[in-house]
Amino acid sequence: MAELPELNPVIHGKLRLALLSLLMGVEEAEFTWLREKTGSTDGNLGAQLMKLEEAGYVAVQKRFVLRKPQTLYRMTEKGRVALSEYVDALKQLLGAGIAPGF
Amino acid sequence: MGNNAKDAELTERLVLIESMIAEGRRSAEGWGWTFVLWGVAYYVAFFWAGWGHFAYAWPVTVVAAGLVTTVGLWRHGGNRPSTTLGRAIGSTWCAMGISMFILFDALGFGGHLADIRIFLAAASAMLGCANFACSVMLKWKAEFGCALTWWTATVIASFGSVNAGILAFLVAIFLCQIVFGIYAMILESRWRGHGEAANG
Repeated sequence: MAELPELNPVIHGKLRLALLSLLMGVEEAEFTWLREKTGSTDGNLGAQLMKLEEAGYVAVQKRFVLRKPQTLYRMTEKGRVALSEYVDALKQLLGAGIAPGF
Repeated sequence: MGNNAKDAELTERLVLIESMIAEGRRSAEGWGWTFVLWGVAYYVAFFWAGWGHFAYAWPVTVVAAGLVTTVGLWRHGGNRPSTTLGRAIGSTWCAMGISMFILFDALGFGGHLADIRIFLAAASAMLGCANFACSVMLKWKAEFGCALTWWTATVIASFGSVNAGILAFLVAIFLCQIVFGIYAMILESRWRGHGEAANG
């Protein structure tokens, strides 16, 4: 019998999974947009994004636009691979059947 | 946790991934209002020019509409994420707008725009070109229909009378800018509704 895959614990958290999925569909996104889409608090969102950054799944860039600070996040290649592997593992655990849109 | 509950949780994860990826892609969209705005601008410029102010009616209206578009996009989409598709669509319309502005101002001030049908045919062809490019990028049949409508207006302006050319141009503005813009806005609001429901 084939061994069942393990789910990546960094990605498995619901908010972190939502963040990576959101970033999968865009090139880069602002902190405020991610907060708006996930309905998360600043503190929780910042903490989860930091975990993803530490894992090398997202890259952060800080800049000033019209003197206002802006924090941009984008998914790294490592993050893309990790999310794809996570989806494959999920499908394998579920016995396949549901195909996500990418 | 039972197998059914575990499966339900894993399925929920897949649904979450799918809905969030779609949400990210959709958030780059939201151009419907610009179609309506530019449709109104074309009408304003056209009728203003018809009152004998052809030299500056178009440049002034186009610059004003361009400024309103820039401010609108900045205010309503300030924190929107950047996507390749969004940039491709934006650059297509931007390139078309700049080309039209330069071409018609150069022709007009150079004194080579004596026949209004040249203006109608060229403007319709360029609008058809931009609509076609976007319809391919978005795989959107309704926008492809707009491209065909604009190209039909080009043919009518080229072979028909002045009145027929003007009428075809005005009808194309109504269908491809006003009606299509409102349709796009309705679709965008539905998508937003679905996105909120998926997040909730």
